[in-house]
Amino acid sequence: MNISRRLLHSLISILGASVIIFVISRLSGDPVSLLLPSDAPPDAIEATRQHLGLDKPVLVQYLYFLGRALTGDFGDSYRWQVPAIDLILERLPATIELSIAALLFSVAIAIPFGVFSALHRGSWFDRFGKVFAMLGQAMPNFWVGLLLILFFAVQLQWLPAFGRESWSSLVLPAIALGWYPVAAQTRIVRSAMLDVLESDYVRMGRAMGVPERVLIWKYALRNAAIPLITILGVYFAAMLGGAFVVEVIFAWPGVGRTVVEAVFSRDFPVVQAGVMLTSVLFVASNLLVDLSYGLIDPRIRHG
Amino acid sequence: MPRILSRRSIGAALLGALPLAAFAQAAPAPTGTLTVAFASESTAIDPIKISAGVDHYFVGQLFEMLVRPNAQLEQENWLAESWTLEQSADGKPVIDVRLRQGVKFHNGDPMTAEDIEFSWQRQRDPKKSFFSHNVASVERIEIIDPHHLKIHFKEPDASFVAGGLQIWVMPKKYIEQVGEEEFARKPVGTGPWKFVSRSVKEELRLEAFEDYWHPTKRPGVKELVIKIIPEDLTRVSAFKTGRVDWIDNVPPAMVEEFKKMPGVKTQTVVSGNNLFINFNTHMPKSPFNDVRVRQAAAHAIDVDAIIKRVLFGEGERYAQVGKGSAGYDPELKPYAYDQKRARELLKEAGYPNGFDIPCYNLTTPREPNVKEVGEAMFAYLSSVGIRCQVRNLEYGAWISLGKRGRSGPPEMDGVLSWMWSQGLPGDPGTPWVGHLHSFQPGTGLGTYSYTNDPEADALVMEQRRTMDPAARAEILKKLARLKQERAIGGIPTYRPLVTFAWRDKLDYTPWPVRDYWRVFQEVGWKQQ
Repeated sequence: MNISRRLLHSLISILGASVIIFVISRLSGDPVSLLLPSDAPPDAIEATRQHLGLDKPVLVQYLYFLGRALTGDFGDSYRWQVPAIDLILERLPATIELSIAALLFSVAIAIPFGVFSALHRGSWFDRFGKVFAMLGQAMPNFWVGLLLILFFAVQLQWLPAFGRESWSSLVLPAIALGWYPVAAQTRIVRSAMLDVLESDYVRMGRAMGVPERVLIWKYALRNAAIPLITILGVYFAAMLGGAFVVEVIFAWPGVGRTVVEAVFSRDFPVVQAGVMLTSVLFVASNLLVDLSYGLIDPRIRHG
Repeated sequence: MPRILSRRSIGAALLGALPLAAFAQAAPAPTGTLTVAFASESTAIDPIKISAGVDHYFVGQLFEMLVRPNAQLEQENWLAESWTLEQSADGKPVIDVRLRQGVKFHNGDPMTAEDIEFSWQRQRDPKKSFFSHNVASVERIEIIDPHHLKIHFKEPDASFVAGGLQIWVMPKKYIEQVGEEEFARKPVGTGPWKFVSRSVKEELRLEAFEDYWHPTKRPGVKELVIKIIPEDLTRVSAFKTGRVDWIDNVPPAMVEEFKKMPGVKTQTVVSGNNLFINFNTHMPKSPFNDVRVRQAAAHAIDVDAIIKRVLFGEGERYAQVGKGSAGYDPELKPYAYDQKRARELLKEAGYPNGFDIPCYNLTTPREPNVKEVGEAMFAYLSSVGIRCQVRNLEYGAWISLGKRGRSGPPEMDGVLSWMWSQGLPGDPGTPWVGHLHSFQPGTGLGTYSYTNDPEADALVMEQRRTMDPAARAEILKKLARLKQERAIGGIPTYRPLVTFAWRDKLDYTPWPVRDYWRVFQEVGWKQQ
């Protein structure tokens, strides 16, 4: 599939996301009644509604939003009274940092575990891996986060429980967030590796006396990695989503906390800016994954 | 003939008469850094941009009002040295205010009557301010001299007095010089703390204001760092590991543990929130149109047990008006827990087998365990025959359901877990305009009310016009009794308590600001 068609698909996805978030946020209630105190008289409510442009029909509001969004202007936050995009962009690096660290953590665990399980299929290690995978899937990340805080921050006092001050602040939230995909990624690597290990070229390599270590880590893993890489784009997006919860637990100053609070206070500009930016990141990471196949597997590039 | 409200002004007038310099020498220079953790964060630090209760947490450290509640929750003249209620020649109310001398803003400018007039102008503009209605009754402010002004009213407005003269004092010269945006970035007030820096979602840094006007109620700590840690357990961990020395909202289940912790002090205070359950009485066929059914509901719930078991004691039972509030009546007791009586009342009302009814619950933790409290209350109601079909709502949906006058569904057609908050210790006057007075579309009356009682309406309006606090308190008392007898405007349940914890190297007394605590007015290190 050529790049321009891919890009077009991506644009349609982002546009779709913009419609959905715009309509859904407006279905969920009136921000003015949350902004003003309960005893505010109707004329003050009306003045605020006009001031925020909420008195216009939804379609007009949407077109206005879209026109401005194209220039990067998402309007001012109702509550913070500053440009919504600034609020999001200021916090986005913290979220991306956390998501990447979590993803790296998960891959760093999943690849050796997956390969080892495949190589020693049916062994105690493989069986342990299955239990481990099940545990990982069953434990929600906020709970893992709280356990990590209790053990490493309160009991052992090795790492800080909250904030974003140094690299050590990143460790616990990254583990809490990266924990969940470890299990699934290990299973993916394991099954891909099992397939590859039975392929002709591996048998051929063995027959030719290629050292086992080189064969596994250089030749087999490269092919076994394709399904993992495919899914990494999706996982990166999942990390961004999961970060919304983990950020609250660890008081991590990322975009998730801001968006969650904005949802509750019906701060539409912030919700829209946050969701639009995450959608762009989501679509972009998927696009990058698609394009990266070509680098790993030349057949896809030429196909 | 002007009436002098000496009750409010005498104490502060005496304090004002004492030479400030005598105290100033006694206060040692502030030292050290105090790091504290709040559970939630303010958005704007501009007093007119306050849009949620938590916004007071930051605004209250930097800005002050003319009158405020003190640590004992008594109204105290603050930037106003004294004030009296008078009448103009045409019979309209006028408040004559004498400002305290020697008050400075953080940039060194002295506070004068011009700043008060400017602050009012800034606050009354609905395009800028979310609180324009608070000062809408003011016609003009007349400046007599730099420390003397008169507030002229279009009409009587009791909430203006109850709300501590409603004006946050902001610096005219500074805002005109630097502009609105810069003021929002670098706020300047008269409060005990000066703004240093802020990183949103992380921390607010403040520094003790060395030229603060109050001789004794001033920080003994040089630097205050406010961290934001929303998750209960993380906040508790931060305290236990020594990363912070003071925490907000100790989780109710852990209050006992904190009280026993060596080297730790705690204080539990009442929040300005008043919880109650409300009933649909606006639909013709609602069972709650019958007073006996409402009384049955009041008898059905064991609120004390809920406070003990679900809130771990972090709640205070109240009957209509909380202790210490205007209109508080110690004679008035909550409906006793008596399920037998509840069943009898239901039978008398024609519901021997009870009835099914939707019960709307708030799930967003606006107060600790509020969802669980709702569930417990609805279970009690069900056990006498008011069979609740529980419907859970998050905050936005909840507030939109409770509000009257929407054009379409959903409609509040059953029982609703609800609350009002106004001031500390919780003045009911203004909230009852919205929560008790009958709903009158387009007027702001009864915006959240499911009651239609002409006698209550008349009393609500009367207290709203009565600016003399003592006279108004009497009307509120009468209203509270009526409310209790007829079980109108909902059944009061409890007022949440909140516990703060700090290391005992700190000398600290909690102070409120308007409806909320958490102002570091009196804080310092203990003498070694």
